[in-house]
Amino acid sequence: MKNLTEFIAKSLVDNPDQVDVKQTRQSNRVRLELSVSKEDMGRVIGKGGRVANAIRILLRVAAEREGLQVTLDVLEP
Amino acid sequence: MERANLEIIAPTVDEAIARGTTQLGVSREMVDVEILDEGAKGFLGFGSRQVRVKLTLKAVDTPAKTAPAPDPVSTPAPAPVQEPAPSASDPILDLAASFTRDLLEKMKVNAKVTASYAEKEEDGEIPVQVDIRGEDLSILIGRRAETLNALQYIIGLVVSKETTHWTQVIVDVEGYRARRERQLRQLARRMAEQALRTGKRQVLEPMSSAERRIIHLELRNSPDVETQSIGEEPNRKVTIILKK
Repeated sequence: MKNLTEFIAKSLVDNPDQVDVKQTRQSNRVRLELSVSKEDMGRVIGKGGRVANAIRILLRVAAEREGLQVTLDVLEP
Repeated sequence: MERANLEIIAPTVDEAIARGTTQLGVSREMVDVEILDEGAKGFLGFGSRQVRVKLTLKAVDTPAKTAPAPDPVSTPAPAPVQEPAPSASDPILDLAASFTRDLLEKMKVNAKVTASYAEKEEDGEIPVQVDIRGEDLSILIGRRAETLNALQYIIGLVVSKETTHWTQVIVDVEGYRARRERQLRQLARRMAEQALRTGKRQVLEPMSSAERRIIHLELRNSPDVETQSIGEEPNRKVTIILKK
């Protein structure tokens, strides 16, 4: 899950080396916290959160296969 | 083989043939073309009529295969004879395909990915078409194609980042979009008939802008009805009303 988020984020941003993902897990709930450089915030959030929502949908596909629930938050820099 | 012929309506004969062969997944040499309606140019767009052609799949000798050809939709092709030639190393297509492969691998989805250029759109843009094939891929489509559209959006962003201008990317899973387009065109014609028969306005289900566009285009040249989208996203829907 962490890998997938990192991969997508790094492919979208201008500064891939500043992409960081923290994963925490409580029973079957996985929480992902994504941080990127300030200039790249728009690229991973998108207009009206469209990019972030698309990433969440793809994460859900991966999560469902393992019986997990996943949330993704983009952290303020 | 059933479903061996197909009727296509398009602005030009060439486009109709291209669209039809794409839908059938065959090359131009494999079909016979019959022009049912040559269309009419009209004047300033008035009274213009699209062309209608019928494509019939030629009988092909399939060596080493005596069984009747299986239904192309329900059978995953293990080793298709008509494998599209590997793209002659076009950097955009390579990027689209390799990014999609990596993405699916990280989603733990096992599938085959090919990228090609689609037909030119009316606005002159040539979209990149990414085809994903494999078994049990309905998870990649999702409810109301939600997952498929998310995939398409992300892949489109990544490809557009590498090209200087916005590149439209169409992602399809197991021919879902082509199938859905056919269904929508049928639906459009059926609802138009119903509007005509009952004299009542027909309201369709909420659809995405791409799907609404298919309905509008299908009925664009209808002498009897006109179409209009009403409501707000994501509940915007097409209505079909009688022309006065």
